[in-house]
Amino acid sequence: MVANQSPILEMRNARKAFGGVQALNGADLTLYAGEIHALLGENGAGKSTLLKALAGVHKIDSGTITLNGKPFEQGSTRLAREQGIAVIYQEPSLFPDLTLAENVFVGRQLQSGFTVNWKAMEDEANKLFAQLGVKLDATSSARGLSIADQQIVEIAKALSTKATVIVMDEPTAALSSKEVDRLFQVARNLASQNCAVVFVSHRLDEVFALCSRITVMRDGATVGTELTKDMNESKVIQLMVGREVSELYPKLEAKIGDVVLKVESLGLAGQFTDISFEVRAGEIVGLAGLVGSGRSEIVRAIFGVDKYDKGSVTLNGKKLKPGNPSAQMVSGVALVPEDRRQQGLFMSSSINRNSAVTMLKRLSKLFIIREKSEAKLAKSWGETLSLKYATGFDPVERLSGGNQQKVVLAKWLATEPKLLIVDEPTRGIDVGTKAEVHRLLSKKAQDGVAIVIVSSELPEVMGMADRILVMREGRMVGQFDRSAATPEKIIAVATGASTS
Amino acid sequence: MKKKYTFGWDQGVAIFLLMTVVIGSFVSEYFANFDNISFVIQDIAEIAIIALAMTYLIIAGEIDLSVASILCLSSATLGFLFRNGAPFEMAILGGLLVGLLCGLINGFLVTVVGLPSLAVTIGTLALFRGLCYALLGNEPVNELPEEWIVLGYENIPGTFLPWSTIPLAILAAIAWIVLHYTRIGRWTFAIGINPEAAKFSGIPVARMKLGLFAVTGLMSGVAGVVYTLRFASASPDGAVGYELSVIAAVLFGGVAIAGGVGTLWGVLAAVLSLGAIRSVLQLIDFSANALLVVSGALLLISVVVPKAIEIYQSRRNSAFVTKI
Amino acid sequence: MKTAMTKLFRIRELPVFLALVIVVLITGTANPEFFTLSGFQDITLGVAVVATLAVAQTLVIVMKHIDLSVGSTIGFSAYLIGDASSQGHGFWYCMGLALALGLAVGAANGFMVAYLQLPSLVVTLGTLYIVRGIFNEVAGGNTITEDMVPGPINFIGLNTFFGIPYLFIVAVVLMLIVGFIMKRIRSARDLYAIGSNLLAAELGGIPVARRVFLAFLATGAVSGLAGAVLLARFNTAAANSGNGLELSVVAACVVGGVAIAGGVGTVYGAVIGAILLQAITMALGALGIPQFWQLAVNGTLLIAAISLDRYLSTRVKPTSIMGAK
Repeated sequence: MVANQSPILEMRNARKAFGGVQALNGADLTLYAGEIHALLGENGAGKSTLLKALAGVHKIDSGTITLNGKPFEQGSTRLAREQGIAVIYQEPSLFPDLTLAENVFVGRQLQSGFTVNWKAMEDEANKLFAQLGVKLDATSSARGLSIADQQIVEIAKALSTKATVIVMDEPTAALSSKEVDRLFQVARNLASQNCAVVFVSHRLDEVFALCSRITVMRDGATVGTELTKDMNESKVIQLMVGREVSELYPKLEAKIGDVVLKVESLGLAGQFTDISFEVRAGEIVGLAGLVGSGRSEIVRAIFGVDKYDKGSVTLNGKKLKPGNPSAQMVSGVALVPEDRRQQGLFMSSSINRNSAVTMLKRLSKLFIIREKSEAKLAKSWGETLSLKYATGFDPVERLSGGNQQKVVLAKWLATEPKLLIVDEPTRGIDVGTKAEVHRLLSKKAQDGVAIVIVSSELPEVMGMADRILVMREGRMVGQFDRSAATPEKIIAVATGASTS
Repeated sequence: MKKKYTFGWDQGVAIFLLMTVVIGSFVSEYFANFDNISFVIQDIAEIAIIALAMTYLIIAGEIDLSVASILCLSSATLGFLFRNGAPFEMAILGGLLVGLLCGLINGFLVTVVGLPSLAVTIGTLALFRGLCYALLGNEPVNELPEEWIVLGYENIPGTFLPWSTIPLAILAAIAWIVLHYTRIGRWTFAIGINPEAAKFSGIPVARMKLGLFAVTGLMSGVAGVVYTLRFASASPDGAVGYELSVIAAVLFGGVAIAGGVGTLWGVLAAVLSLGAIRSVLQLIDFSANALLVVSGALLLISVVVPKAIEIYQSRRNSAFVTKI
Repeated sequence: MKTAMTKLFRIRELPVFLALVIVVLITGTANPEFFTLSGFQDITLGVAVVATLAVAQTLVIVMKHIDLSVGSTIGFSAYLIGDASSQGHGFWYCMGLALALGLAVGAANGFMVAYLQLPSLVVTLGTLYIVRGIFNEVAGGNTITEDMVPGPINFIGLNTFFGIPYLFIVAVVLMLIVGFIMKRIRSARDLYAIGSNLLAAELGGIPVARRVFLAFLATGAVSGLAGAVLLARFNTAAANSGNGLELSVVAACVVGGVAIAGGVGTVYGAVIGAILLQAITMALGALGIPQFWQLAVNGTLLIAAISLDRYLSTRVKPTSIMGAK
């Protein structure tokens, strides 16, 4: 990669707004052929919107995107692909019933004359796999393929469409370390074939190992683009966060009481194994680790949405049966799930209904529920949480992300749980609301609730938790007291890097 | 599903019902008298009873195509038991139990085995009706006790309402209150809107669906008993095509096929509209075939129109909000 | 050699083919007449109609849709052919009429499912009844009798080619043609993609609406033309013709490996499935089981096929999001 080469892709000052939210606010990105370029930023920094613009899902409101010297035609995924941009998502979407060869060539199957030439297609696909240095059989079905292999198929597809820019969006999140190594090989391979590879990731160690340049985004804008060799982790983190860590996380001291939650040797085949820990009343325990390390699976199993097959969960001395969320709810367990749109809310339903859905038994008099009682409950919690809304009859899909999360919190806090589990509680939420949520959690701890917080945002975990448990690939690999924890130590244990 | 137009849809159905009644009275002098009202209620009683349960099922995001076959099987069981010496009350109980059992089978296949309800109930549709033939052969049971048959065609003394109004009214009232004012009703809507979020909210989704299928089977059984008394006969080829009328009525009544939306009074209005249309068609001597066409057309209208409105509305709001 | 063997066992149609072989053997052992030429002709004749419709239905089911209106369409078409012929119209005119009917129904279905994006279950349920209603009205109490059947159709219905009934050959030829198209024509491959992962298909630039519309149009057309097959088979048509065929057709497809969940299955499997169902029917007859158990048996087979399919698909260990579905 030579400095006075002209760039393959140049995005300047891109802006994009959705409703009232400014997702891109002056984003820049410059890509050269043959480089592996990291794109970093916290959740909500705008990376995903930028990628979607490149993928052709959105059109930017203002700013320019130039590809190979020509203006990039936006707004169509098909056009984006035709112009040579391919995006590999964290969870690729293949056709499970078709063969790998057909997945690579879907819609453009190789023909001889007017008919599909299966042999040629399979041979060509196998060739691409070999080119990428991977052992895959083009004639096998795509069903049951591991995520790592699915990504390879997508990359092969990109190659076959002569893509010049290949974007990988958090590709390593669900990969084992061996698969990560293989992916790095493939990425280097692509770069050597003069593609520009964009690598989006939260894992700084991977970024520093693989990428030659780094672009950091914050609040929708690009705040820095540097050569990797000119950067180190703390500089990058500072660019990403841009402010003092402690401001954001107002932790209040709480009295620690008796053991509320006791998890013993919990295991679920394929997801996690041998998980044991305790949480006391008033304590906040954080589960840290990379995405895909099994944290959400663990808390889902504790709450009962998933059924664990080994071990036990005890609440205040009483053993909880696996796989029964309604029973856990009655016993006093609450889970604010990771995906608030899919798992936490009924988007088309009103604020009142959403807030009250967990409290229906208590709201019914002689089996009858009146709308008024739901509205009353919603209103009182709305006030407690400073919810911003027009009327309680509005569907929650009209609320901002932060306010939506507040509704999810309201519905669970209303049940007065003894154990409150929050999974990524401030994902995709504006800073102001973030602080409110943290303050709320602290207050609940003071009220004697046992809290478990799962978060991929290290500063959040470190700011809120009394104890931090670190997961890696389904196992608990480390435990830190609040006073002893540092980001380096936690990341080291989470990624399996050797500690000095 | 926008709350705005759904609210309008229910009112639309009520208006449609009114219009049909008005037009009917103009079209035929025999339409708007008490005898005819009694006839209409009798005509749609079975469909209405099953529709009560089907409403819940469709709101919860499922469907049951086998209801007519369950109706027939309950009727066949009733006939079979009676023909073989059982007291009539026991035969009725037997029919109801069979209905419940069929519903449980459907529910089991969907919730425990995990099969899609559409495909499964196409299969049970055949299975249950096939069992009707197995029970009765080709001979319907025609000798039923007089004191029971009377309930099938007479009115409640002193009124113009047929006896079948009683189970219908009671069940409709219960269904309406439960759907809109109790936890079970709220859960039904929640499951239809977002089954995953329902699970995460502590709602026992599988158990609820099993229960809804079971109740649908039971209601089909009740309808089977009513049907048997009305025709004074239990035969293996009864109620063919009723599932269409039930589903058409439910969808026309404002329940979205995707689930999560609907009101019970909309469905009742739709059922009555269906009955009114049938009556009008019969009075002006349209053949029974016209009814098939009308039912089919109503079914299509009830899905095409909401979709057309949706497309029109989204075209108007061309600055559409993309979810991040 | 080993890879050839593993490939053989991976063929989706293998279980249903084996099942067919077993049923045939059992029936033949119980009733040796089964193995004679007339037994063979019985089966192949009996299966012709359902097999033809199953070939068309495959197009729709692999896209994760369903077409319940086929029974009404084929019955109406059979009647129209006979009726037009009895009024003196020539063979091609009658067939043109049948095709027009099929195209009309297919276009209506296709438009509502593809462009209005309505669920195919509801749409085809609606057209099922509308077509049947119109059919019953047009037919009234009339019946098409043998003398009203056009010559060529009569011929095909009654004769054989080296012992194989022409009707069956028609079905087989259709199967071969459509089978070839589904495997070797690009735009037909899109149908599998649509059924396998609709979202990916849309994002991947496949013209989904157009494909869905054309598939329903084709199914309608085949159902219309197949009215001739129905007429040839029974030499008669009346208001109840084709009633309930849709169940047998869907059952044949599912039993033959065309999963309700879409994305997999071939017309070869669908035809084998149809033959299997027919063989079971005849087996029941040979074993002295009364005719009316048949409906129950068909229903049970459909449920069993769906359950087996579901069981097999969940056995793939879910190490990824896709396998877990």
